[in-house]
Amino acid sequence: MFEWIKESLTVGNATVKYPFAPLELIPDSRGKPEHDALACIVCGACATACPPNALQMHLDLPNNNYIWQINYGRCIFCGRCEEVCPVKAIELTQEFELAVMSKDDMLETATYSLQRCALCNKQYAPSKEIDYLNSLLDSFAQNDEEVQRAKEQLSICPQCRRIAESANVKFICEQLERRA
Amino acid sequence: MDTQISDSKLVGADAGMASLGDAQAAQRSEVRSAMTRQSDVQAAAFQYGMQPEAFQYGMQPAAAPKDACASFNEAGNVGESHIFALRQKYPSAVLAVSRQSHDQLTVTVKREFLPESVEFLYYVRGGWLSVVVGNDERPITGNYSVNYVLSMEEADKCFIIVRTEVDADTLEFPSVTPKVPACVWGERELRDMFGLRPIGLPDERRLVLPDDWPNDLYPLRKDSMDYRYRPPMTTQTENYEFVHDDQGKETTVVPIGPMHITSDEPGHFRLFVEGEDIIDADYRLFYVHRGMEKVAESRLNYDNVTFLTDRICGICGYAHSVAYATSVENALGIQVPERAQIIRALCLEVERLHSHLLNIGLVCHFCGFDTGFYQFFRVRETSMELAELLTGSRKTYGLNLIGGVRRDVLGEQGKAIKSAIVKLRKDTQVLIDALIATPNFAGRTAGVGILDRKVARDYSPVGPTVRGSGYARDTRADHPFVGYKHLKVEARSYPGCDIQSRALVRIDEFFDSLDMIEQLLDIAAVGPVLTTDFNYQPHQYAIGFTEAPRGEDVHYSMLGDNQKLYRWRCKAATYSNWPVLRAMLKGNTIADAPLIVGSIDPCYSCTDRVTVVDVKKRSQKTVAYDQLERYCATRKHSPLKG
Repeated sequence: MFEWIKESLTVGNATVKYPFAPLELIPDSRGKPEHDALACIVCGACATACPPNALQMHLDLPNNNYIWQINYGRCIFCGRCEEVCPVKAIELTQEFELAVMSKDDMLETATYSLQRCALCNKQYAPSKEIDYLNSLLDSFAQNDEEVQRAKEQLSICPQCRRIAESANVKFICEQLERRA
Repeated sequence: MDTQISDSKLVGADAGMASLGDAQAAQRSEVRSAMTRQSDVQAAAFQYGMQPEAFQYGMQPAAAPKDACASFNEAGNVGESHIFALRQKYPSAVLAVSRQSHDQLTVTVKREFLPESVEFLYYVRGGWLSVVVGNDERPITGNYSVNYVLSMEEADKCFIIVRTEVDADTLEFPSVTPKVPACVWGERELRDMFGLRPIGLPDERRLVLPDDWPNDLYPLRKDSMDYRYRPPMTTQTENYEFVHDDQGKETTVVPIGPMHITSDEPGHFRLFVEGEDIIDADYRLFYVHRGMEKVAESRLNYDNVTFLTDRICGICGYAHSVAYATSVENALGIQVPERAQIIRALCLEVERLHSHLLNIGLVCHFCGFDTGFYQFFRVRETSMELAELLTGSRKTYGLNLIGGVRRDVLGEQGKAIKSAIVKLRKDTQVLIDALIATPNFAGRTAGVGILDRKVARDYSPVGPTVRGSGYARDTRADHPFVGYKHLKVEARSYPGCDIQSRALVRIDEFFDSLDMIEQLLDIAAVGPVLTTDFNYQPHQYAIGFTEAPRGEDVHYSMLGDNQKLYRWRCKAATYSNWPVLRAMLKGNTIADAPLIVGSIDPCYSCTDRVTVVDVKKRSQKTVAYDQLERYCATRKHSPLKG
C-alpha cells in the first residue's frame, strides 16, 4: 500500500503535453506518404506493391487520363511504395494527424494524360512514362542508330511496333551482318 | 522410453552414429541403437538437405530398408524416429513421408488409421496438437486433405504433420477428437469451412460460421464463393445451443456478452451458476471473423500477406508476421540472412515486453487494483518506444518480407535500446516487488481458475496458460527458430495451475526478454538483412511457428501457381487456449470469471457498448457508449432508468 503511494509520488506526472505541445517523435517513425506529382513517372509500381490497396491506378480512356489515387483512410504506413518507387516520387513523412471531417478528404489524386500512338492514334502508355524513357535515351549519343530506332519505337503502341518490327526484318539482318 | 522399438529385432546394433545432442542422449539411447544400424544403409538417402520433394520414399515398395531412419544425420535433420515408431506400431498405416525442412515431416496415413496415428504420436511419443488444417486439394490430387500438425516435445523434437486425404464425394473421415480431445475445435472448423464430416465427432455445432450463414456454403472450398460475396441471411434468430452439465443442481444462467465491459472481446459466455458458484460454462466466439485466410488466398501476393498477418492481432501481430514469413521460407528452403533472424528475434522479444506488461496490468485491473494497472501501463510506454525505435511504428508493424526484414538496427539505435532496457528493468522491478507484497493480489489469484494438468495435457493449451500448470513447453526452447538458436532459452513454468502461476510465468518471462534483447544486440552478425535469391514454386508447403506472448502461433502455407497462396491457415495462440477455459471456470465464483478469462490473456478488441441483463425481471437493455460515458462523468439521469 505505502509502496504504491510512494511510487506515485516519486514518479510525478507521466502524461505528455500533446496536443498542446508537439509530440516528440523518433526520427525514423513512419507517417503520411507524400506524393510528388511532378517527379512521378506513372509507372504503377507503388500501386502493385501497396498491401491494403490504398494506392490505386484507374484508367479513364474516354478522357485520355490515367488517375493515380491514394486513400489515406486505407494506408497502413508500411512504406512499401517508398521502397519500390524508381524515382523517389513518394516518400513517407512524419505527419500522423490525418483525421478529416469528410471521407472524401482522405483521397488524394493526380491525373496524368495518356500518350497516343503516332501511327494508329490509340492510347498505349502514360505520357510521362514515355517522356522519362525519352530523357533516358537522350543521355546516350544522339547519332547512334540504335538510339534513334528506340526513340521511334517508343512513339508507337506495342501492336504497331510488332507490325513495324516485322517490316524491319531486312534492316535487322543487315545490322547482324555488319556486326559479324 | 518406447518399448515398441526396444522390443524390435533391430535392437543390438550400434556405433557409427553421428554426434548426438548431449541433453537428450541418455533417455534416447534405446531408440538410437535401433536407428543406428540403418544409418549406414541410408546415408545416401538423407543427403537431400532442404529439398522437400526428394524425400517421397514411402510410395516405393522397394524402399523397405529405408523404413527405419536415422534421427540425426549430416544435414541436421530430425524427426525420423517418430515415423519409425509409427511404422512399427501400425505397419500398414503409413502411405508416404515427405520432409519440409530440417525439423518438419509430413506423414500421409491411411484414412482409417488417422485417429490411432494421431493418438499414438500425441500420447505415446510426446506430441502436442498445434493446429488442424483442412485443404481443398481437389485441383491437385482430386481429394481434400486434413492435416494434424503435432509439435513433438519429448525426444527428437520436431513438427510432424499427420496428413490424410478425404474423398471428395463422401467427404467423410474418422474423427480424432474421441481419442485426442484437443482436436475438437479444429474438426468443428473443418465442418464449417470445407463441409468435411468427421465421423464420431462428439460436438457438431458450428464454430466459426454465424447462425445466419447458409447450410451448404463452405467458404474455403476453391469453387464455393468469391471473397467479396456476402450471402443473404438465412435466419433472424440465434440458434446456437449452449451445452452444460448441471451435475444434478438447479442452475441459473448468467449471460456475459457478446459485448460486455469485462470480457474485453466480443465473445458470448453463459455461466451456469448455483448461487455465486459456477457449475458449468459455455461460450462461443468468432463474432469478429474477418475472413483473412480467404482474402489472402484470393487477393494478396506473398509479400503483401506479411502486412495482413501484422493485423491479425493488435498486440502480438509481429509474431504472426514472422510465423507466416518463416512458413513460406521453410516451404522454399530459403536461407534467411543471420542478421535478419536476429532482428526478428529482437522485435519478437520487444513485443513480448509490452504484451506481458499489458497483461500484468490487466490482472491488477481485474483484481480491482487499478493503481497497479495504471503504474504498469506507465512503465509499458518505454517498451512501445522501443518498438517505434526498431520499426518506425509503435506496434512493430510492417517489418517483414519473405526472405528477411526491411530495416536494419543501427549502432546508435542499439545504444538507445540498451539504455531503455536498463530503465525498464529498474522501473518494473519496483512495481513487481510492490505487487507481490500486496496481499490482495495473492488473495484474488492463488488457487483460482485451476487448469488441471490432465486437462492441459488433453487439450494442448499454449503459452503462459500451460506453463502455469507445470508444463515447460515453449516454442523458443523446444524448436529454436529465427535468432533463438543462438540463445539459451529456458522455458519458465510454475506448478500452481492457477492465475497466480500464470502471472508469475509472465513476470519471469518479462525479465528473461530483457536479458535476451541485450544478448541479441551483442551477437548480431554484420551482413545483409534481406535476400531475394529464390523462386516461388507451386504447391510447396510448410509450417512456420513462433512463440507469441500468449503462446505458440502456427501458420501453414501452401504456395500457389499464380503468385498467391493456395492455402494459408493461421492459428493464433489464444485459439488453443479457449477450449480449456470451460474447465478453468468450473468451481469458481462469478466475481472471478473476468479474472479467469483475463488470465489466458485473450486477444483484445474494443468494446463499445454494454448490455445489462436483469435476471429477476428477465429484461435487458443496451446502453450506448456515449450514454455510459456521460453517466460516468455526471452520475445523473441513469440510462438504465425509464
